[in-house]
Amino acid sequence: MSATPRPPLVRLSAAAFGYGARRIVEAVELELEAGRFLGIVGPNGAGKTTLFRGILGLVPPLAGTCRREPGVVFGYVPQRESLEATFPLSVREVVEMGAYHRLGRLRRPGAADLALVDEWIERVGLGARRTAPFAELSGGQRQRALLARALVTRPDVLLLDEPTSGVDRGAQEQILALLAELHRGGLAILLVSHQLALVRRFVEEVLVVADGRVWRGPPQELLAPERMELLFGAGAGAE
Amino acid sequence: MDVGWLERLSLFRFALLASFTAGLVCPLVGAFLWLRRTSFYGITLPQFSAAGVVLGYVVLPWWIAAVGLGGLSLDEALGDPHTIMNYLLAWAALACLAGLSALVWLGRGGRGSETGRVAAAFALATAATYVFGRLSPVGQSHVEELLHGEVLGVGSHECETIVAVLLAVLALLVVFRRELALVSFDREFARVLGKRVLALEILLHCLCTLTVAAGTIIVGPTMLFGLLVLPPLAARPFARSMGAFLLLSSAAGLLAALLGTTLSFQADLPLGAAIVAAAGLTLLPGALRRATT
Repeated sequence: MSATPRPPLVRLSAAAFGYGARRIVEAVELELEAGRFLGIVGPNGAGKTTLFRGILGLVPPLAGTCRREPGVVFGYVPQRESLEATFPLSVREVVEMGAYHRLGRLRRPGAADLALVDEWIERVGLGARRTAPFAELSGGQRQRALLARALVTRPDVLLLDEPTSGVDRGAQEQILALLAELHRGGLAILLVSHQLALVRRFVEEVLVVADGRVWRGPPQELLAPERMELLFGAGAGAE
Repeated sequence: MDVGWLERLSLFRFALLASFTAGLVCPLVGAFLWLRRTSFYGITLPQFSAAGVVLGYVVLPWWIAAVGLGGLSLDEALGDPHTIMNYLLAWAALACLAGLSALVWLGRGGRGSETGRVAAAFALATAATYVFGRLSPVGQSHVEELLHGEVLGVGSHECETIVAVLLAVLALLVVFRRELALVSFDREFARVLGKRVLALEILLHCLCTLTVAAGTIIVGPTMLFGLLVLPPLAARPFARSMGAFLLLSSAAGLLAALLGTTLSFQADLPLGAAIVAAAGLTLLPGALRRATT
């Protein structure tokens, strides 16, 4: 007896996303299946983040449909610049937020969730800094703390918005190596990045967002240097 | 300790209990206002509540004639501290909620200048307080007490009311502190987690409204300003976590209430103003720390 194929975690059909009446991306057809590793790339202002926010349900579709499979948990890693750095939160408090959809009696996280928080803090390499203020971390450390927070949600799909932006080379490699490991463990990952070379190395498929449209295909094809130069300008393909 | 102190402690026990409870709880609400970069609401909202109280006096004769207030006449209502306080508390809460809702609505989507809106709201609410005060045929002495922040007149009923309201606010803040911090720090992550973000923000606004309304009417806007704004500022340089920030804010508020009481009794100063001055003193360690690091 063959196993019933699992429905896509997210399915976009003729979807358009934008702000107000203005459509930034349209006619998007996308099925995000369990265990896939997808990258979203495109020139600045093309609508990568808008599409990403649409998939997360943070902006409603202006046309078409965006269906998220009921019960699917999204692990969201926002751009760290979008967060208020002066907040007096410790690393542990930030990571613990990933368990806030499972709060128990008196709105407190349970013992299993607290253990999970500690486990992910260790695994992202912040064990020695768990009580440090989040605001005092370097860019790469903050990114890892936000990644740990997303993983504490016990996600079915991990969505990351520019996780390696403004992060030094060593931290980039650490983050991407962890993502590759998580993907090998069966986690679906959707990654927005403008760093084409990194995306090309790690993802299985790419969504190229340009001129309000979205193309999906293998990175070898869609991120070929000559194609990238057309989209991003001279030199982009060699990035 | 001399006898004079004991007598004063006994005589003003309700005022002191109200002040200490306000010192403990108001900074927690102020801490969330600070986190959301809306500290100046701590100055403006009490002014809305003060305007609401005075407006309550303006319409009191009409209200008694048209709606009724427990079957009491105007003179009876004015002479009944329980009835009049509950009536004014409702007006203070209503005005505070209206002002807060207007500020949140005008600031939706991050448009315009927050500082400009809050400054304009403060100016208008202050002017409204004085205009309503002039129009009010009754309650002049209470209005003047309110505007000068005279805390020592707090009686048993006012004390019971503010302690009950503030302890309820404290309990809800303690229980919901994690989710309130989450929606203040990363609203989008909260939405992705499926949290009821709007409900949590309404809860925070309601806690703020309750604190400000009860605080304004009982300890006065001056003391409320100080306790909402100054202790969180004093706590921030020393806080390395959210839990520490809330605890230190509350501790600074309580310390200000204790120091202010001592200062008031020793130097015969108005209690509310002395507590605010003491809250100002709690800023010194943080300022020294910044200067030396």
